[in-house]
Amino acid sequence: MKIGIPKGLLYQYYYPFWRSLFERLGCEVVLSDKSTKSLVGKGIAATVPEICLPIKIYMGHVINLKEKGVDYIFCPRFVHIEKGFWFCPKYIGLPELVDKTLPDTNLLVAEIDCTREDTADLKSFMPVAHKLGVSRHAMKEALKGAAEDYAKFREYCHSGLTLDEAADVMFKGVSPDKFKREEYTTTIGLLGYVYNVYDPFISMEIIDKLRELKVNVVTFDMLDDYDLVKYRDQRTRPIFWTFADKLYEAANVMINDMNVQGLIHITAFGCGPDSVVGKEIEHDFADSGVPFMTLRIDEHTGESHLQTRIEAFTDMIKRKIHKINEVK
Amino acid sequence: MKYYIGIDIGSVSTNVIAMNEDYVVCFNDYIRANGQPLESVKKGMGLLKEKLECKDSDILGIGTTGSGRELAGVLVGADVVKNEITAHATATLHYHPDARTIFEIGGQDSKIIILQDGMVTDFAMNTVCAAGTGSFLDHQAERLGIPIEEFGKMALSAEQDVRIAGRCTVFAESDMIAKQQYGFSKAEIIKGLCTALVRNYINNLGRAKKLEPPFIFQGGVAANEGIRAAFEAEVNHEVIIPKYFNVMGAIGCAILAKEYIEREGVKPAFKGFDQLELEFTPTSFECNDCPNMCEVIKVVSDGKTLAVWGDKCGKYAGTSRK
Repeated sequence: MKIGIPKGLLYQYYYPFWRSLFERLGCEVVLSDKSTKSLVGKGIAATVPEICLPIKIYMGHVINLKEKGVDYIFCPRFVHIEKGFWFCPKYIGLPELVDKTLPDTNLLVAEIDCTREDTADLKSFMPVAHKLGVSRHAMKEALKGAAEDYAKFREYCHSGLTLDEAADVMFKGVSPDKFKREEYTTTIGLLGYVYNVYDPFISMEIIDKLRELKVNVVTFDMLDDYDLVKYRDQRTRPIFWTFADKLYEAANVMINDMNVQGLIHITAFGCGPDSVVGKEIEHDFADSGVPFMTLRIDEHTGESHLQTRIEAFTDMIKRKIHKINEVK
Repeated sequence: MKYYIGIDIGSVSTNVIAMNEDYVVCFNDYIRANGQPLESVKKGMGLLKEKLECKDSDILGIGTTGSGRELAGVLVGADVVKNEITAHATATLHYHPDARTIFEIGGQDSKIIILQDGMVTDFAMNTVCAAGTGSFLDHQAERLGIPIEEFGKMALSAEQDVRIAGRCTVFAESDMIAKQQYGFSKAEIIKGLCTALVRNYINNLGRAKKLEPPFIFQGGVAANEGIRAAFEAEVNHEVIIPKYFNVMGAIGCAILAKEYIEREGVKPAFKGFDQLELEFTPTSFECNDCPNMCEVIKVVSDGKTLAVWGDKCGKYAGTSRK
């Protein structure tokens, strides 16, 4: 049985869990190709124009998997992974959105409605078990094993690896030492949902670009789940959306504990939650003295546009450090 | 006399300046590029050579900035290729070390730079919309049949205020037509337009930022007195326009080139004035080797490829990942 996993939305965050789970159930996992102009173009052409760019890209990946020929395309419906926090409506309606946009797609839907970050919840995955003809017991065992693998993956992330690097360590046998890199004097917090930070089309490989400018990059997924929420109690207004809350809390921790000298918020055009949380971060931490920049990417954004901004931003920070050192 | 040269290749104009070792600007030229940035760089450099009567060895260093900075850098042999924010802030701080806020409006983009203690602490650039930039004003001046040079003066002669929607060029234009039909004078409409442009600028770029004096206004649009007056009304404070307001980016990168050459003690990379006589042909092609379909830009001179960039994978040239 071939299960296709689209490299869109939460793919980078949950891929190791999904892959481990399906392989434990005896399925073959097929991934879509990485986001390119033509793959994204197909998604854009198939989708209603008003919707956000990440959904258009997701559709591009589903189309790519259909072209490859798989038995099912795994399309989880994310509702909850933590009490009091919801996913954006596009996640809640994702299976229907795919079905209406690309009819005759054989979807395999997990109903993620639980209180576990790793989503290894039997009730959530029973619809998958039914469709695959897997017993309750087998699903339970597979989820247990996948959760253990996922915990390992997250540990690699917490040691400072990016999600892509941690996945390479898990599945390609790459040694974590290979990703050890020079420590620079400048550290920038890169805030953004995983599909904005890691998708090569949206992010234009911003992590590599920043590292080329001799900057250490930290992302929310490098913080462990407990650290991430340590300042949450101090907030007067809760943030409604799961990952938007993570970004806000990450900014909080990065500024207070990690000594970042700048924050870059990378957001895709058309994102509703980001238009709220981006402003909240900008306003709430305005007095911290940590500069904040928003990079808004749409399907027409040129690479030079992005390059100019991150260059100017890192220049600003470095010249500041340089000047402070001179005075000392 | 020895000189440092700064070149700013924007979307609308190409600016070339030369300054001596004491930071005195000896030559400055603001050329409307008319879509031919390479030609205007050549023209500017030619004028510079003629006016200053200098030879290759008189050039101590060159900096380039602006959206065409890479291309110009290749053409002349630049020591420093810098983004516009850093270049503008460097120049402003040279003339006004106490500056706190820089408004910069150019042909197709605008920026705001916030400074403190001689350091950039925050900045913003407009994203996709060209509303409120020089090109927009150019277009409206043309539509109203007023030379752009007269535009600002006319705004000052307006007797009453009229509110024009400045959020978007398309709306601004239809709003202007409507207001004209209501019988407002051209001067009033222009004043309304200046106010709308500044309001749009402050809303887009200045939000969530504390704007403190001294305020500096530069870029090509700073020539427009109407816009300056609108800025002063908006911030309720005097707005300073530097002497070389329209070539500040070029001055900034010349200063950066000087700093770089002196700090590193390297020889200037200048290729010589003769080199500029050669034909440069920039071409672009869409690479179809992978589904990324990058638009690759290639500069050829005398049958030799000087530079290639734009390819994501970097297979065409090592120069692509600068």
